[in-house]
Amino acid sequence: MDGVFTVNGKKCEFAFKTDERLLFTLRNHGFTEVKNGCLEGECGACLVLLDDKPVNSCQVFTASAVGQDIKTIKGIGNLHKPHIIQEAFVDVGAVQCGFCTPGMVLASYALLQENSNPSKAEIKSALDGNLCRCTGYVKIIEAVQLAAKRIRENGGHHE
Amino acid sequence: MKELNWYYPKTFADAGKLVRQETVLPHGGGTGLLLRNLSNTDGLIELSHLPLKTINITNGSVEIGSVCTYAEVVSELKKVDPNHILVKCLHHSANTPLRNRITIGGSIAMFPPWSDLMGALIALDAKVVLIGKNDGEFPIIEYINDKTLRKESMITAVKFKNADWRSDHYREIRTKSDMPTFNHTVLLRIDETKIVASRIIVVGTTSKFTCVYAVENYLNGRKIDDIRSAKIESLVSLKFTGSRFDDPDYSNIKAGIELGRMIQKMVRS
Amino acid sequence: MNKYTIVGKSEKKIDSLSLATGTSKFVDDFELKDPLYLALLYSPHAHAEILNIDDSEARKLPGVVDVFHFKNVKPILHTTAGQGFPEPSPYDTVLFDTKMRFVGDRVAMVAAESRQIASDAIKLINVEYKVLEPLFDPEKAMSDNAPKLHGPDRFTPIGAKYEPEKNLAAEVEIGFGDLEKGENEADFIIDHTYKAHYGSHCAQEPHAAISFYDEMGRLVIVTTTQVPFHVRRIVSKVCEFPLSKIRVIKPRIGGGFGGKQEVFLEQLVALTSIKHKRSAKIVLSRKEVFQNSRTRHPVRIRLRTGVKNDGQITFLEMDSLLNSGAYGTHALTVLSNCGAKVLPLFNKIENLRFLGRSVYTNLPVGGAYRGYGATQGYFALNQQLDMIARKLDIDLLGFIKKNHIQVGETSQVFKALGEGTEGVTQIVNSCKLDECIDIGAREIGWYNKRSKKITNGDKVSGVGLCVAMQGSGIPLIDMAAATMKMNDDGSFNLDIGATDIGTGSDTVLAQIAAEVLGVGLDKMIVLSSDTDRTPFDVGAYASSTTYISGGAVKKCAEKIRNQILDVAAAMMAADKNDLDLSDGRVYDRKNKKSISLSDVAVHALYSENQFQIQASASNVVEQSPPPFIAQFAEVEVDKKTGKVDVIKFVSAVDCGQALNPILTEGQIEGAVVNGICYALTEEYKFSANGNLLTKHFRDYKIWTAADMPEIKTIVVDSHEESGPFGAKSVGEIGINGPMPAIANAIYDAVGVRLFEAPFTPAKVYRAMKQAGVI
Repeated sequence: MDGVFTVNGKKCEFAFKTDERLLFTLRNHGFTEVKNGCLEGECGACLVLLDDKPVNSCQVFTASAVGQDIKTIKGIGNLHKPHIIQEAFVDVGAVQCGFCTPGMVLASYALLQENSNPSKAEIKSALDGNLCRCTGYVKIIEAVQLAAKRIRENGGHHE
Repeated sequence: MKELNWYYPKTFADAGKLVRQETVLPHGGGTGLLLRNLSNTDGLIELSHLPLKTINITNGSVEIGSVCTYAEVVSELKKVDPNHILVKCLHHSANTPLRNRITIGGSIAMFPPWSDLMGALIALDAKVVLIGKNDGEFPIIEYINDKTLRKESMITAVKFKNADWRSDHYREIRTKSDMPTFNHTVLLRIDETKIVASRIIVVGTTSKFTCVYAVENYLNGRKIDDIRSAKIESLVSLKFTGSRFDDPDYSNIKAGIELGRMIQKMVRS
Repeated sequence: MNKYTIVGKSEKKIDSLSLATGTSKFVDDFELKDPLYLALLYSPHAHAEILNIDDSEARKLPGVVDVFHFKNVKPILHTTAGQGFPEPSPYDTVLFDTKMRFVGDRVAMVAAESRQIASDAIKLINVEYKVLEPLFDPEKAMSDNAPKLHGPDRFTPIGAKYEPEKNLAAEVEIGFGDLEKGENEADFIIDHTYKAHYGSHCAQEPHAAISFYDEMGRLVIVTTTQVPFHVRRIVSKVCEFPLSKIRVIKPRIGGGFGGKQEVFLEQLVALTSIKHKRSAKIVLSRKEVFQNSRTRHPVRIRLRTGVKNDGQITFLEMDSLLNSGAYGTHALTVLSNCGAKVLPLFNKIENLRFLGRSVYTNLPVGGAYRGYGATQGYFALNQQLDMIARKLDIDLLGFIKKNHIQVGETSQVFKALGEGTEGVTQIVNSCKLDECIDIGAREIGWYNKRSKKITNGDKVSGVGLCVAMQGSGIPLIDMAAATMKMNDDGSFNLDIGATDIGTGSDTVLAQIAAEVLGVGLDKMIVLSSDTDRTPFDVGAYASSTTYISGGAVKKCAEKIRNQILDVAAAMMAADKNDLDLSDGRVYDRKNKKSISLSDVAVHALYSENQFQIQASASNVVEQSPPPFIAQFAEVEVDKKTGKVDVIKFVSAVDCGQALNPILTEGQIEGAVVNGICYALTEEYKFSANGNLLTKHFRDYKIWTAADMPEIKTIVVDSHEESGPFGAKSVGEIGINGPMPAIANAIYDAVGVRLFEAPFTPAKVYRAMKQAGVI
């Protein structure tokens, strides 16, 4: 079947199978920044923002998401103009292998949209759906704290 | 690969007609169907265009649309009562991205042994509202026990009366994001010095859930000062299957200890 | 106190931004033209002979191009272990065998036009099995009537002891002194058996491999590997394809931890491409990673130590039984490391015996996993040290400080026990373990908490310690090389075989070169792990990258430096010895003049006596200077339920000069959290038939950020003269501490000792009940 979606601000028409998961539809259409880690909604590597809410794209039927707004990691910043959160991750050493990073950054982004001054406990809770085996989470938590601070100092703007 | 027909009904009437086809299932965006074998399913009814996402809180009554997600229920109920039992149960269920998809209706229909929702709905004497072959309001326990109510029918909402309860929820988990081996839902009504009423549900037992009447009977009418954790523990005798790789005998012991602790904490706060 | 310009600075990892913006490609992200997708059929039986395979129904499915199995694939014995040649692991594996040796062993493979068709076709393959009696208990593996897994055609290329007819995959025995004398001298003997359990690496990226022909008809393999050069060699051998026609590339990798130090998928894509002249792709599901890739080896260790009342350890005997699973990959080397990386730490024990056996069982296959035997060995040793100190009623920290290896000292174990072969004598040149112990103890509040059993409602606290050393590469075996050339603008290409699997080695190695040449990282163009474009490196294992690959880079950069100084001296009419490199310039100290590196490069490339400033260097060394660590756990144990919570975990590490402190901390922090989960929540559960039941993250639990307690990492100031700018390696050592430190802390809290993890509430509860504490 076919459907129109908005991905990173652009209208996209995708052909997809009726039982296809959004993760594969996105990856098959070039959005390989959305990763496949477990296919069971436990690791968060496939996390995207669906109508601004963080979801595991491996747990969404593409047919269910027709017409909705999807943001992948490339929708919030890029190499030439990274988002404050992406820069913070880089600056504090929160990126090792980087496989969990797109999901981790998007989950942090969703948190900071709702809560501009989260406590450490709130940060930890917001990342409860993102596994990382490389960093031990220490620097990831620091990165989100730093990003929150920088965004606040930037008057609430993310660039 | 399974070829599924997708339906996008715009009215309840249309949805009700569609669901009467046995091999067509309703889908509100939840995760239950994705874990299932869909080889016997021919179609899915996409419910997102229907007015099933509202939460109505009127005087003493709450009605939650079946397509509301756990995150939405927590967010809305928190505004009205941050100590509501549903807030306590759902806010730490699964994980953040999953809570944005798991729906109340889907969760009731699936009722897995790790459900964080069912204890609260049972304790609150909730009713499910159905359309399709079975139409109307049905008490939650009846819905759980009577499989025929699921056939060719769909949940549109769940309702319960809001009463004055002190409440708490406990999950037996290995890490913060885990499907609990068992979970306790406790509602207490306290009248100055003694317990007036109680509802205690353990989900995850061999019979899926257990109403712990032995402890309810111990508590009802008892003075708070006379309540003993040790006595509560000794009254707990639950059967577990070990399906979550747990040790069933230990789970029974742990369930008793944690229940005693919960109640002590609730009465002293 | 940092005396360097860029070494010792927490430079940003050069690929961080690319990873954080999702631009970096991992193996599954590469676009392939018209690939054949591969799906595998696995054995449902733990032990069975395949009597027949009928693939006719599968072949009829439209889109199925081929079905591979024992009938049409030549069985070439090899090991899948990603080790140097000749590998110290038995050659006991063929691509498609006629005998299945564990639930999950490989029966057949389908190549099809789509993933869906391939996985549908798998179900259509008819296999006739003769089910055999399985062997699950490693203790019974060598008994006469045990089922035999492997035939006499298996062998080890290095001639190590190997008796497949007895299910013996490896055996090691060393000893010195007189054990009986030591036993007689002892005032008491502590004798316990410890069990280290299965673990899954849980690298977030599942294993994947693709292969395709390039424009010149050479076979290119892009794979999730820690060992690209071993991949090339093994694929060439097993697929009988010329090595010169194979190019192996490691792109960004989503973690390895040893799980990708294994060559078991690349042969499959290569085979498919070679036969069908098309590209091929395989990506494992998470389920397959859990069951069909590799695990940590479970090891049973019986440790006997004799002690005099004055604290002298009169003898030590370590008897290890390693459960190798169905195949013997890494069976000898992990076994050896249980002793090789552990026993030298306490080098004053004169009477010592280490014996070990690795045995086959019909269970998932053990392989390389961070720590690599040391993790298992330290679980035993550190609990035993705790017991000794308690029995003698002495300060544990002081006891360890008195007994561990010191600067200038050696241990007979170094020479006696290598990684599979004989080892190489080492003399410790740098050891700040005492400082690690003191700093760590202060940070955790050791003396305020130890034996105090501080209570908090129903909870009681305890603190525990683990001390450990590891190695820095395998001496005289691990080799690394680097090539550099200089460009017009004073930048450099740095081509290294060394494998960055998320560790940041590309960055750290660039820092070494940058330090030598007096430039910033912006002037380093790093290319790594491409068998066509980069020189050899054994790969990312044995904690070899910083020390050995770093040494190669330093040597190479120094050759470049020399060439630059020659050209500059001529250009500036100066004495070479008066010249320094810094800030991208060549400074003449004497004449107070300078020119830019770009001036030098342009001159060399275009002006006169033109030549390309370039160099190569290799590094293989006799030393493997151990890093040292002291790790402290503070736990709270629920006295009624046995639930253990980690409140704080402290690591104080001596890794020589930390070349990039943030990356060093990152290595320790990741290893620590991995180790804590291994100790508390990770567990493999099997059915009675040997089927792995815990194949999903919902069943096999690891932490998220939500579970995090306080983790503190201290990198102690140290310097190893033989290492590049004083560095030793640090990749593995952090994972050794949590399990023993937590076990010791649990004892400190509730007086109950646990000899097997994970320390689940049920396990702790039952131990407390048995000890009469509940």
